[in-house]
Amino acid sequence: MKSIYEAHLALKNKKMSALELLESCLSNRSEKNNAFISVTEDRAKSEAIKADEKIARGEWTSYLQGIPYSLKDLFVTEGLRTTAASKILYNYIPPYEGFVASAFKNAGAVLVGKVSLDEFGMGSTNENSAFGPVLNPLNATRVPGGSSGGSAASIAEGSSLVSMGTDTGGSSRLPANFCGIVGFKPSYGRVSRFGQIAYASSLDQASPMGNSVLDIGIVMEHLSKKDPHDASQVNLGQMKIVEDLLKIDGEYFKGKKIGLCMELIDGCKEDVKKALLQALDLMKNNGATIVNIELPHLKYSVSSYYIIATCEASANLSRYDGIHYGYRKSHNGQLEDTYKESRSLGFGEEVKKRILLGTYSLSSGYYDAYYSKACKVRRLIAQDFNHAFLNCDVIFSPVCASTAFELGEGPKDPVQMYMNDLYTIPANLAGLPALALPFGNGADQMPTGFQLIGKQFGDEALLKLGRSFEVLTGKKF
Amino acid sequence: MNSTELNSKRNNYVAVIGLEVHAQLATQTKAWCHCEVTAHALENTKVCEVCSAQPGTLPVLNKKVVEFASKMAMATHCKINDLSFFDRKNYFYPDLPKGYQISQFETPLAQDGYVEITNANGELKKIRIERIQIEEDTGKSTHEGEMSLINLNRAGTPLIEIVGKPDIETAEEASSYLKQLHSILTYLGVCHGNLQEGNFRCDVNVSIHKKGTNVWGTRTETKNLNSFKHVEKAIENEIERQVEILESGEKVIQQTLGFDPETLKVKVLRTKSDAHDYRYFPEPDLIPLVITEQEKTKWMNELPELPKVKQERFVQDYSLPVYDAEVLTADKNLAHYFEQVVKNYKGEPKKASNWIMVELLRLLNEFNIDVQKSPVSDFELAELLNAVFEGKISGKQAKDVFIKMFDEKKGALEVIKELGLVQISDTSALKELAEKLVAAHPTQTEQYLSGKDRLFGFFVGLVMKETKGQANPQVANDVMLEVLNKLKK
Repeated sequence: MKSIYEAHLALKNKKMSALELLESCLSNRSEKNNAFISVTEDRAKSEAIKADEKIARGEWTSYLQGIPYSLKDLFVTEGLRTTAASKILYNYIPPYEGFVASAFKNAGAVLVGKVSLDEFGMGSTNENSAFGPVLNPLNATRVPGGSSGGSAASIAEGSSLVSMGTDTGGSSRLPANFCGIVGFKPSYGRVSRFGQIAYASSLDQASPMGNSVLDIGIVMEHLSKKDPHDASQVNLGQMKIVEDLLKIDGEYFKGKKIGLCMELIDGCKEDVKKALLQALDLMKNNGATIVNIELPHLKYSVSSYYIIATCEASANLSRYDGIHYGYRKSHNGQLEDTYKESRSLGFGEEVKKRILLGTYSLSSGYYDAYYSKACKVRRLIAQDFNHAFLNCDVIFSPVCASTAFELGEGPKDPVQMYMNDLYTIPANLAGLPALALPFGNGADQMPTGFQLIGKQFGDEALLKLGRSFEVLTGKKF
Repeated sequence: MNSTELNSKRNNYVAVIGLEVHAQLATQTKAWCHCEVTAHALENTKVCEVCSAQPGTLPVLNKKVVEFASKMAMATHCKINDLSFFDRKNYFYPDLPKGYQISQFETPLAQDGYVEITNANGELKKIRIERIQIEEDTGKSTHEGEMSLINLNRAGTPLIEIVGKPDIETAEEASSYLKQLHSILTYLGVCHGNLQEGNFRCDVNVSIHKKGTNVWGTRTETKNLNSFKHVEKAIENEIERQVEILESGEKVIQQTLGFDPETLKVKVLRTKSDAHDYRYFPEPDLIPLVITEQEKTKWMNELPELPKVKQERFVQDYSLPVYDAEVLTADKNLAHYFEQVVKNYKGEPKKASNWIMVELLRLLNEFNIDVQKSPVSDFELAELLNAVFEGKISGKQAKDVFIKMFDEKKGALEVIKELGLVQISDTSALKELAEKLVAAHPTQTEQYLSGKDRLFGFFVGLVMKETKGQANPQVANDVMLEVLNKLKK
């Protein structure tokens, strides 16, 4: 039993209790994988018992009731340590509840724990964590992908049925792809960011990760509520999609136009490419038309992303100054030295690198050449997508050129590591919804997959296509 | 250089002065969260996760901030941008918990306005406003010996920055410009205007150049002044400092200065070379600020009568001299007080104006009391003035009555009664008294009747003495003349 929906049916039919479900998840957790920063076993048990009591009384509030889940440690939880996988927040206990945490709580879900990530969401391998690297549960010599590596690993190892990750440049889709699960980055502005520790505010988006598209739909119903605490959230009303998804079958692809940029696929390793083409064939064989599209500015997306994201990060991370909360180091009590020492010792190398990059790009005399230009490129990329969507319903793209990287590859060639984000970054720059789906295996028996990129705020349509695809691959729930 | 020397040198220079005013908006809650705005709360009790910059928090713009800022923009003839943007101004300081201030840099809320002041020659002068932008206040740092304490109650309080063009030439002009802005802000009710509490603060840019040249000198900026007097002092002091520098053959350098209220002198805080690079960039957490025509129309209709207009109306409607109208309208509440007095007072408005400007303001200023909280209400002042107008008491008596009213918070009629100050204007009663007094002084009567006219005053004096000064002097005069004249025949 892996999906929320299956577990829900089991709870409903009294095949198992929420406590039993939680205990099986806890027993699936592997210390070695190091997916968790904090395991909240006691709290989880009391939440599960509460869920069972409600179930016994016949009270059902949602599909998530009694479902064990994990939260990337970038989501603020009231009274529960939230670290962003950084030494600078190693002792930080938030005084308030973030939007995502409260959405799951209100739905009656059971929090297994807070899972690891690349510090502040900066990285693609989950090796940049102050709490040590996370291993891929499918193969311990591989990374789970990042930055939401802990989320993906917790699902893949079976310690959570669903997990909340975040996606700034691919941080939910890449780990989903490396661990063989589903990752969904909603349109920018679809889900409140209140209580999600910021990396790059104009790109960050809370992203559910799970075992099926149906499960993603279940979570999205709760995440899509309007939150008055986030001015950048667009009010599109709460999503009602689960019942629709349950009705969808393979027929849904009939007449759909799938946009394809062949260059992107050609850039992938042979085994990945093979899986991608097979997925396309499956869609084609079920009535979809493949349309060639052009995205001429895509090649600038990595450079543009690493300027915009680091500029925003340089300001977003200024509040970690050793004064108000978090890690403080001060040998002489002088203000400037306190700043320098706390930040030098509190942040990890990758985070410091990005803060410096962003600070430099915003500096007087460099702003126009870097930040301003990157924003222009970003608009051009969004325009490319708008043009492409005139001729197609959805865009098909790889998630990564290869299967999961070997541990330790990242630090060897940082720029190559950045280039790996090429396929995932464009959806963030353009604010589009993107759904990473597992499909097939590589030569190394590690999972392969692809992503579908939807029109802005076409999140429901995208999830329906994804659901149809998973039905075609034989997945029932 | 001695002071006479300096003064004569100084006359060779022209000053160019530009002011940046920070006004705290009088909203109930802060700019980005629901915390109450107040200067009177225990330290760090008006603080939440947003204004203390906890990880993961986001700002949400308080709509009242936009309304208040826009009203100020309209009242100062600025053009309001349909679309404006917020930016982040980055710098590290413990009282700035986010590590950046949310401000408006690239496109502010409003621009290109002006206010009018009266200059030294009595002419109207326009001082142009470059821009009005919305931003947030910081917390407060207190330094106690080795320790620094942070109070975040003020953090996130909405501010507007009003950036003036360098159209000002003297300290007096600067001060009237500031008073004008202050008066408009408080008329609109968008700023409490309490200077001691820092509701209204100002940075002053000053440069000087030789008369006859049009190449401006290097300017300095004096930060954070919160009194009209200090602004004047700081400007005068800075002009003198720059004159001395230039006269000694040196160059003024671009510096940031601070004003020491103890010595009333400016001192250098930092020079340009160690100036901040604020790395402004668009605030991604806030959406662009859109202001619709409907909003503008609504706010425009809600604007109250502004000081300049009220001033003109006072001159017209109440036949007041311009000076009186200016003083009375400088403060919305004072103007209201005046109009209420006039409503109930039967005499000339100018009389009421005199009383308010001289007697009332003297005591209010002495005890530092706001006119709204005046112990003598507008109604009671009108009662007092009516008593004089109707001849019940004399003007001189009224002054004593007023002081007692002020000190004891009592009504006019009550005090008049308490002091037994009813003026006797009853002709027949006074006539009776006069006849009695004349009869009691036969020697003086004979002398008067034989031509010693100056003894008339003696007889009137007797009436006043006998009535303990309560006789209406005019009536006493008339009656005595009548009684004595009768004897002449």
